Amino acid sequence: MIKLTPSHAPRLGNGRLNWKEMASSYAMVLPAIAFLCVFTLYPMIDLFHMSFYRGNANNPFKSFEGLDNYKWILFTQPDFLVSLKNTAYYTLAVVVLLISLALIFAVWMQKDRRINRIAQSVFFTPHLVATLSCAFIWQWLYNSESYGLLNSVLDIFGLGPVRFLDSSATAMNCVVAMNVWKGIGYYALIILSALKSIPNEIYEAARLDNSSTLKTFFRITLPMLSPQLFFLLITITIGSFKVFDSIRIMTNGGPGTSTQVVTMFIYNYAFVRNNTLGVASAAGVLLMIILMLITLVYFRALERKVHYQ
Amino acid sequence: MENLQLKRRLRNYLPKLPMDLLKIAMMLVFVFPFYWMVITSFKPYIESIQTPPTLWPVTFTFENYETIFSSSVNVWQYAQNTVVVTLSVIVLQLAIMIPAAYGFAKRNFPLKGLLFGVVLVAFMIPGQITYITTYLMFSKARLINSLWPQILPFGANAFGIFMLRQAFKQLPDEIVESARLDGAGELKIMFQIMLPMCKSSIITIAMFSFVDTWNSYFWPLVMTNSEQYRPLTMYVEKIRDVEQGLDWSLIMSANCLLVLPVLIVFIFASKKIIQAFAYNGMK
Amino acid sequence: MAKIEFRNVTKSFDKTTIIENMNLTIEDGSFTVLVGPSGCGKTTLLRMIAGIGPATSGQVLMDGKDITDLEPGKRDVAMVFQNYAIYPTMTVRGNIEFGLKNRGVPKEERTRRILDVARSVGMVEYLDRKPSTLSGGQRQRIALARAMVKQPKVFLMDEPLSNLDAKLRVSMRTELIEMHRQLKTTFVYVTHDQVEAMSMADRIVLMDKGRIQQQASPETLYRDPENVFAAQFVGTPPMNILLMRNGKRLGFRPESVQLASEPSEDPFCRAGEIVTREMLGSETLYKLRMGTDTIMIKSGDDSYRMGDKLFALVPASKLFFFNEDGQRIRPGSGADMNALIRTVRGENLD
Repeated sequence: MIKLTPSHAPRLGNGRLNWKEMASSYAMVLPAIAFLCVFTLYPMIDLFHMSFYRGNANNPFKSFEGLDNYKWILFTQPDFLVSLKNTAYYTLAVVVLLISLALIFAVWMQKDRRINRIAQSVFFTPHLVATLSCAFIWQWLYNSESYGLLNSVLDIFGLGPVRFLDSSATAMNCVVAMNVWKGIGYYALIILSALKSIPNEIYEAARLDNSSTLKTFFRITLPMLSPQLFFLLITITIGSFKVFDSIRIMTNGGPGTSTQVVTMFIYNYAFVRNNTLGVASAAGVLLMIILMLITLVYFRALERKVHYQ
Repeated sequence: MENLQLKRRLRNYLPKLPMDLLKIAMMLVFVFPFYWMVITSFKPYIESIQTPPTLWPVTFTFENYETIFSSSVNVWQYAQNTVVVTLSVIVLQLAIMIPAAYGFAKRNFPLKGLLFGVVLVAFMIPGQITYITTYLMFSKARLINSLWPQILPFGANAFGIFMLRQAFKQLPDEIVESARLDGAGELKIMFQIMLPMCKSSIITIAMFSFVDTWNSYFWPLVMTNSEQYRPLTMYVEKIRDVEQGLDWSLIMSANCLLVLPVLIVFIFASKKIIQAFAYNGMK
Repeated sequence: MAKIEFRNVTKSFDKTTIIENMNLTIEDGSFTVLVGPSGCGKTTLLRMIAGIGPATSGQVLMDGKDITDLEPGKRDVAMVFQNYAIYPTMTVRGNIEFGLKNRGVPKEERTRRILDVARSVGMVEYLDRKPSTLSGGQRQRIALARAMVKQPKVFLMDEPLSNLDAKLRVSMRTELIEMHRQLKTTFVYVTHDQVEAMSMADRIVLMDKGRIQQQASPETLYRDPENVFAAQFVGTPPMNILLMRNGKRLGFRPESVQLASEPSEDPFCRAGEIVTREMLGSETLYKLRMGTDTIMIKSGDDSYRMGDKLFALVPASKLFFFNEDGQRIRPGSGADMNALIRTVRGENLD
C-alpha cells in the first residue's frame, strides 16, 4: 500500500481523512504560529539579512557591506570584544555564585519548619521586583558619598569609603552581587522542591549503608539534583548573557568600559549612533550564535553526567 | 511536668539557635533594601544626604509623593499604561496559548512536528536580539505611537505553550473520549473539561507573564518614543534623569509606587505564589 | 545471627503514641513476620531495629547488647524497603557496593561478594545497568542483593512484595523462604497480608493499635487464637463471630460448618437460607442468613443453590468462645464449657 497522506493525519473509521477535525486543529495552533513567525522568526531572519548592510532606521539596507560589519566588530574596533569579555566575566561570576549559593540556601531551608517557610518567602521577594527597582535601590545603598548606607556602615568599622559603582575595579562585582541577591531565592526554591521530591527511604537506606552525611550529599543528593542543576546552569547562563536592565541603571556601562556588556553594545549601535544598524545586527547574530554554542557545549560536556529518572 | 517538657524542648532547640540567628540575619539582608527604599521615600531631600544616614526619618514627610503627584509629568498616565499593557499581554497570551497547547498535546494533524519545532526555535531566540527588526516593523506600520509594540510581540508565549502542552499531555486521552461519548463539543471539551484540570499550570504561566510585563524596562525603552505610551518603570528612570543632583528620596518614592503593588500582592498570596514558581522548576 | 529484644519500648510522634510499653523477643534465626492492619505499629517496630526511627523510651537489644542509640550503619542489619529505595543515580553494582565501601571492605573481596549475590539473585548480566532501565521485579532483586551482600545478622523487610504483581509475588515468596533456609539468619518481615504472613513465617507477631495481640506459629494462630481480633485476622473468609444472649461470643470457622437438610445432635444446629453463592473451584462459599445473623460457610459441596433452606451444623470441638472484651475463653481455664455449650443449644431453638 502506498500512503498518500502522513500516517498521523486524522481519519474517519473508513480510512478517509477527517477534514473537519484537521481544520479545527489548525485553527487551534495557527494563531500562535503566526505570532511567533511575525514577531520572532521573521525578525531574526531579517536581522541576519541586515547584518550584511550599512544603514539606519529609515533605510536599513542602504549599502551592501558583505562581512564587513562582522570583521569590523571582531577585528577592527575593540568595543565588542571588550563588552563580550565583560559579559563573560559577569556570566561566569553569576553562574558560579548563584548555583552554589542557591544550593546552600536550599539545603539550609530543607527542614519543614516555620522559620524556613518564612525564609523562603523573604529570599524569594526580590525575584518579583523589577530589576530596575532593585538596581535603583542598590545604587542608592552603594552610594560612594559618606551618606551612602554601605559606606556609613563601613565607617563604623573605620573602613572605606569604597567607591563601589564609581570605580572600574569594583563596579562589575557590585552589579554581580545585586543580581545574585535578586536571583538566589528563586533558584533556591527550584532546588528546594527537587530536594523535597527525593524519597526519604533513600536517605534511610544510605544511613543503613553507613554513609556519612557528606558522602550522602555528594554521592546521592547531588546526583539526584543534577537535572535541576543542569536546567539552572543553562537558564542562568543564557539569562546572564542577556543582562541589560541592571547595568543600564547602575553604571550605564561605566566607569570607562568596565561594565560595558554585549546587549548594551547592540543597543548603543542600534539606537544611539547613526548609520550603524548593520553593526548592531551583526553583534546580535553573533550573540545568538554564542548562546547556541554554549548550550551545545553544555549538552555535549554534561549530558552524560546528568541523571534522568 | 509542664516545666520538664519545656526544658526538654529548649534543650532540643538550643543547638539550632546559632543557625537560626544566622538565618534571621540573612533574612534582614534581603528585607533591608526594601525597608531602606520605603524609609528614604519619607525623608526630605536634606535628610537623605545627611551623614550618618538616619535609620528612621527624623522629619517624616510626604512631600516627595506630593511632588510626584503634583508635577506636570502625569504619573497616572504611566501607571495606566503599565496596567493596560500587563492585562492585555496576559489576556492575549492566554487566548493564543490555550488552544495552541491543547492542539499540540491532544490533536494529530500533518506537519505537527514541524510547527511545534517553530515553537521550540522561537523559545530559543531572545527578544534582546530581535527587538531591532521588530522596532523597524512597527515603525513602518506607523504603530510606534501606541501601546501595540508593547503588547503584540508577546502575544505568543513560546515557553507558556511548551509548559501548558506538557500539562495537557499528562491528562489521559480517555477523558476526551468519554466527554465525546457524553456528547460534548470540541470547544466544551477544551474549556470546560481540560482547562480546569490544568488550572495550576495556567496560573503559574499567567503569574510569570504578569511579573515580566509589569517589571519590563528594556522593551518599552526601545519601543516607545513618547511619554504618553511609557510604563511606570520608565517613569522611575525619568525622575532620575530630570533631577540633576540625584534626589534619592524622590527616586525612592517613585520606586515605591512601582514596587509596592507587587509586594502587597505577594505578602497576601505568598504561599500560592511560591508554590506556582516552585512548580515551574519541577516540570 | 542474632536475637532481638524490645524492653518496655514506647514510641510517640509529637502527641500521638504509636507503641506503648512493648516487650517482645525475636528469636535468633527465626523468620518472624510482624503483621497487622495499617497503623498498627509494625513498621515502627521494624524501623527501631534498623535504627532509623529510634524509640522514645525503652531499650532495644541485639544479642543482649543495647543498641537503642547505635547508628544504623553500625548495626549489623540490612533492610529491604517497600519501594526498594534503590539509589537511582548509581549502577546496580554501585548500589550493591555502596554499603561495603562505606564499611571499608577491600576491593577484591567486594568484587567477589557482589558477584556471589548477583549470581544468587540472577542479576549478573545487569550489574552495569542503571536501575531506571529495570523492571519492578528486577529492582526488587537488587534491593535483596544489596541487603544480602552485607551478610547482616538480621534481615529487615518492609512489605517488600507489595509493589509486585500477583504472580511474581507468589514466586518471590517461595524464593524468600528458600533464602532464609540457606542463610539461617534472623528475618524480620513486615506485612499487612495475612496470607503472606501465614505462608512465610515460622513465627507470627500479630499487632493491632500498637499492641501485640498474639505471637505464635502460623498453625497455633489459626487453631488456637487468643482473641476475636486474631481469630478474624487469619483465614479467608474470617471466623464467624456471633453474639450470644449472655454477652459472650461464639466463633467458628467457615470451613468447620456442615450443611445438611436435616437437624442433628451437634451443639450448633440452626436453620437458614442461602443468600449468596460463590464457586471458587475446589470449594464453594455460601452466605447463610439465619434470622438476624449471617454466617459464611466454606464447603466442598457445590450442589446447593441460592434460596435453599438448610441447617448449619458445627460440632462442639470446632466451637470457640470469647468473653465480653473479646478474649478467648479456653477449656480448662476454670470456665464451665458445658454451660457455654448449653447456651449455644438453647439459642438453636429460636
